[in-house]
Amino acid sequence: MLKLEGIVGHVDDSAIAAKLHHLRHHGAVEYVLLAPADTQRKRLRVISDAGTDCAIILARDERLEDGSVLLIDDQRAIVVRLDELRWLLLEPTDLAAALELGYFVGNLHWRVKFDGSQIKVAIENDEAFYRERLAPMIERRLARIIDEH
Amino acid sequence: MRTEIITKMAPLAAKRIGPARVGIGGPVGSGKTALIEALVPRLIKQGYDIAVVTNDIATREDAERLQRSGLIAPERVVGVETGACPHTVIREDPTLNLEAVDLLDRRFPKLDLVIVESGGDNLASTFSLDLVDYWLFVIDIAGGGDIPRKRGPGVLQCDLLVVNKTDLAPHVRVNMDEVRRDVALARGKKPALFTNCLTGDGIDEVIAELRRSVLLDA
Repeated sequence: MLKLEGIVGHVDDSAIAAKLHHLRHHGAVEYVLLAPADTQRKRLRVISDAGTDCAIILARDERLEDGSVLLIDDQRAIVVRLDELRWLLLEPTDLAAALELGYFVGNLHWRVKFDGSQIKVAIENDEAFYRERLAPMIERRLARIIDEH
Repeated sequence: MRTEIITKMAPLAAKRIGPARVGIGGPVGSGKTALIEALVPRLIKQGYDIAVVTNDIATREDAERLQRSGLIAPERVVGVETGACPHTVIREDPTLNLEAVDLLDRRFPKLDLVIVESGGDNLASTFSLDLVDYWLFVIDIAGGGDIPRKRGPGVLQCDLLVVNKTDLAPHVRVNMDEVRRDVALARGKKPALFTNCLTGDGIDEVIAELRRSVLLDA
């Protein structure tokens, strides 16, 4: 296990970018892939794409983001990559259906965004779970699932 | 360039890494406090510096129970009176709990771990990751063998599911094989452990998981 305490910098920082460029040429940049929700954590354990067992520990005022550099030295670098947050796009059939759909997603504490007459539900867990829960509303034709983004 | 990087890294040395924060949630009577009572003495024996925040809706009963238990110094336990739905103060607005954790952190600067126990809630209860780094959801066999199958957000989203009171299965007509199957289906790759907090069965496994995933020393 490799303990990584604190964020060293970001891939866009000039000094770090130059060093990363050099390390990439030697295949010495490892990535840890995180779900968007994990950026809220201050402690997590994750295996890098090169198989390094990483224990990440942050101060309370630090926050991981895509491109956060956790380690960089002459031998290698370890960089955070964020998985893309996907959204389920729902279109209610009318105003009454929109009210019911809004109540439903709120009651389930789902994270949503509004886009005109559509609701986007963040897929933060297994997608099948969201589709299962929505199935009765879809069957009753209160809403339709348009697409995933 | 090397000098620049070292200069950039230098302020990190002054950054204080606080204690790990672990949430324990679950329905009323599932054994959240019993789990803490089983974990605390074992963790202290292993050398961890610990404090606990408990949440109750209108009293500080759980805090007082722990303070009187003799398992942990009373001043290391802080009770939060939620006054509303327990999940509100661990998810939507965890300010009261953040203040309680910060208070303990200031009072005991060498803390390794702060446990935040939610008030008894329902299967939809979840923790904000602004409050805790990792959270457990405790359900119990006496509450019904169908709980894992109902796939509430607490069961699905927690970092570690704890199924407590396994010894009661034959007394409440619950088939443990079915429960284990349903738990595996609901959890996928996420961990789940089975405990009897009164006898200590499964507690060492919970500690091993905490050490691996959030204390980060194993």
